[in-house]
Amino acid sequence: MNQAHVKIKPNIQITAFYLFFIIHTMQIGAGIMGVPQIIYKESKNNAWISVLIAGVFLHLTIFVMVTLLKQYNNADLFAIQKDVFGKWISRFLGTFYILYVLTVTSSILLNYTEVVQVFIFPKMPSLQITFFLLFLATYAITGGFRVVVGSAYLFFFLTIWLVFSLYEPVRHVDWDHYFPLSQATPKELMLGAYKTTFSVLGLEVLLFVYPFISNKKKVPIAAHLAVLLTTILTFLVTFISIGYFSGPQLEEQIWPTLAMFKIIQFSILERFDFIAVAFWGFVILPNIILFIWLASYGAKRLYHVKQKHALYVIIILLYAFTNFFEYRFNINTITDLAANVGFYAVFIYPYFLLLIVLVKKKFTKGQGSGTK
Amino acid sequence: MRRSRRKSSNSSSSSSFPYTIEEIHQKLKDIFHQSPDLNMVEYTIQQKKVAIFYITYQINKVQLNKSLLPPLLKIQQQNLDHKVILNEIPLGGGEAQDNIDKIASNLIHGSACVYVEQDEKALTYLIPELEQRSISRAENESLVFGPQISFTESLVSNLNIIRWRMDTPDLEVKKIIVGERIPTEVRVIYLKSLADDENVNTVQQRIEELKVDDVLDSSVLAQLIEDNSRSIFPQILQTELPDRLCYALKKGKVGVVLDKSPNVLIAPSTVFSFLETTEDVYMRWNMGSFARILRLTAMVLSILLTPAYVAALTFHYEVIPSSMLVSLGQSRATVPFPPILEALLLEILIELLREAGARLPTKVGQTMGIVGGIVLGQAAVKAGFTSNILIIIVALSALSSFTAPSYLMGTAIRIIRFPTIIFAGLWGLVGMLFVFGFLIIHLLRLTSIGRPYLSPIYPLTIKDFNDSIIRLPATIGNTRPLSNHPKDKKAYSEKKAKKKKDIDE
Repeated sequence: MNQAHVKIKPNIQITAFYLFFIIHTMQIGAGIMGVPQIIYKESKNNAWISVLIAGVFLHLTIFVMVTLLKQYNNADLFAIQKDVFGKWISRFLGTFYILYVLTVTSSILLNYTEVVQVFIFPKMPSLQITFFLLFLATYAITGGFRVVVGSAYLFFFLTIWLVFSLYEPVRHVDWDHYFPLSQATPKELMLGAYKTTFSVLGLEVLLFVYPFISNKKKVPIAAHLAVLLTTILTFLVTFISIGYFSGPQLEEQIWPTLAMFKIIQFSILERFDFIAVAFWGFVILPNIILFIWLASYGAKRLYHVKQKHALYVIIILLYAFTNFFEYRFNINTITDLAANVGFYAVFIYPYFLLLIVLVKKKFTKGQGSGTK
Repeated sequence: MRRSRRKSSNSSSSSSFPYTIEEIHQKLKDIFHQSPDLNMVEYTIQQKKVAIFYITYQINKVQLNKSLLPPLLKIQQQNLDHKVILNEIPLGGGEAQDNIDKIASNLIHGSACVYVEQDEKALTYLIPELEQRSISRAENESLVFGPQISFTESLVSNLNIIRWRMDTPDLEVKKIIVGERIPTEVRVIYLKSLADDENVNTVQQRIEELKVDDVLDSSVLAQLIEDNSRSIFPQILQTELPDRLCYALKKGKVGVVLDKSPNVLIAPSTVFSFLETTEDVYMRWNMGSFARILRLTAMVLSILLTPAYVAALTFHYEVIPSSMLVSLGQSRATVPFPPILEALLLEILIELLREAGARLPTKVGQTMGIVGGIVLGQAAVKAGFTSNILIIIVALSALSSFTAPSYLMGTAIRIIRFPTIIFAGLWGLVGMLFVFGFLIIHLLRLTSIGRPYLSPIYPLTIKDFNDSIIRLPATIGNTRPLSNHPKDKKAYSEKKAKKKKDIDE
């Protein structure tokens, strides 16, 4: 059972401390810009409860993932799949996962491009914005895993202060918006929670970077804390949006989070939202870097190609692909596709895989004792 | 011995020792290409012809006339040969040579050669005259207080200063010769009980593996052994201050001293070590912390201020508060250029002033600064070339970049400003953020002798914040920087430092 083992050179191993940033920055990205509206559509002014439900579900998923990984010595998803399903099926599943990752990446790229075009430069071609982002991603990934992790970590600190700017909208919150408390039916709440998961995809990275972590004992706490922070941030944004915007207004806002930045002013800065939207590039940059790293690393693991070559192919594909989608309708289609596939790939599949692994383990154990 | 003799007979094909005086003179002349500087003096001592060769300006005449010649001429013994002379002359550094090429090389390095006709070997005495400037105050890294002594171009006196400052046998010095055509001596120095072996080996290996004609200066050596030679950031610290070197050695770093160069290299270095001075250490901890944070902010401001102005005025008028917009509009009303040109013009003006000031002799340079700074700035605004506010911003960012204690780092920061301004002018905030993101990823990628350049920020070592970004009082910070991987991590016992007394005890 412990045959699946991924060897990682000690000089590129990281401590669980950085796992926190990897998981968290991967989860927070383009999704949180618009998540309040999406949940609000399902569970109205009880949307914040949906976020909490989703949060519980996130922790449960992390728990399942960690349990799954603990069944093996030092394996990642590719190794586990190979052990469970054999060479060919696992290769197919792995390829599928890479395709899913690429879909998510293009969805992030497209969403941010659109935000920049709406808020700052209506005439800036998406060719250029995606070029900037993909160029930075390539530059970071060619630096190796150390730089990939470093950028997740540094860009987290460069952007986390944006949370404090929510102080201004908080002062304008209308508390009446939260009542009545139990307006949504349980089904609506669950639907809201389901929709929340779309914007917090990314915790699956744990299944891939696990072998890179030197102190495995601290993995659960780092992962849970990361997910906790994600839940708190999503909750904050949703909760404040509900109070800040009126119901119909919120349903109209595609990016309520960014819209809240509009009223923030400083004596030397009148429109903070410009800075915030530009800075949002740093929120999604680690997202893109990590996702593309994941895809290129996956290609290396599955097909034994050079990661560099895989990376260049992926970057060119992404660049070509994202620039086909110029209309909002298409962006929504790709985002929905990524979200739906992501729900199954991230929140259903690990449970299923754990079940199979456990059953298989029991079976082989039974067999082993039988032969004795 | 036999081996060397065979070698010498190979190299000098026509004939080998013993020579007549004329023969050896001719041979040396041939080696020096009939140079007029080769001197020969002939004496007859105890019926034997003795010749002394030397290069006029390479030897110390006083030593020659007082310590070498008088005892030589007073020798009473019969059967004069090199052994007798070696025994009689009260001078150290005498060597018996039977290789004519080796003798020539010794002559260049400041030896006098004594040869008894038809003897088997010649003697060389090392009595060099080294021209060097005397030790003076530091010019480039100036300090308000603290030791003022600085290194000179002479390796001997530099090592002398280092040994004087660090009088412990723990200080290990390794000698390496660099340069295939013009060999230069390099010394790798570190504290044996502190410095990480891997760091020492990396530095040593990189210098040993160099295949170059010659190394002009230690700054060239630094460029040759750096991890990323394409980067604009210097990755190895250079200093002319002995106290700075010793301070770094005491933290477990490795120093490289090069002959003929007044700068010493310190590795591994982080981006923050380029922003610290020893003065921060000499001042009280709170003052030192303030100075360091000030410099760090200055660097960020220096890169971002002018581009922010350009971006805001070209694309994002909305960002500027309305009260400020009025005065900005007024001062920019007469400016005929777009902000990007206006900013580039002023930035280039400042760069020209700096460059002209650096090239001109000091006396003229001062006038230059005044003419450029005051007259040109005033005239530019009056003529409607630039706005008042931009002058302030450009001056502020230039001033900020000059606060970098390392001249190389300051220059790097100033140059980075230009692409940032261009990107800000072309694509506003998005362009600026692109450059900023690129810089961050670039800094993340850099390493210095294999150690991360952004340490202690990444990888995060909170204990190392002391003495890199801030300074803590001695009772709190008791560790040596962990990112240097020192063998002994604790500088002093924490318990003793933290021991507290009760009131009035």
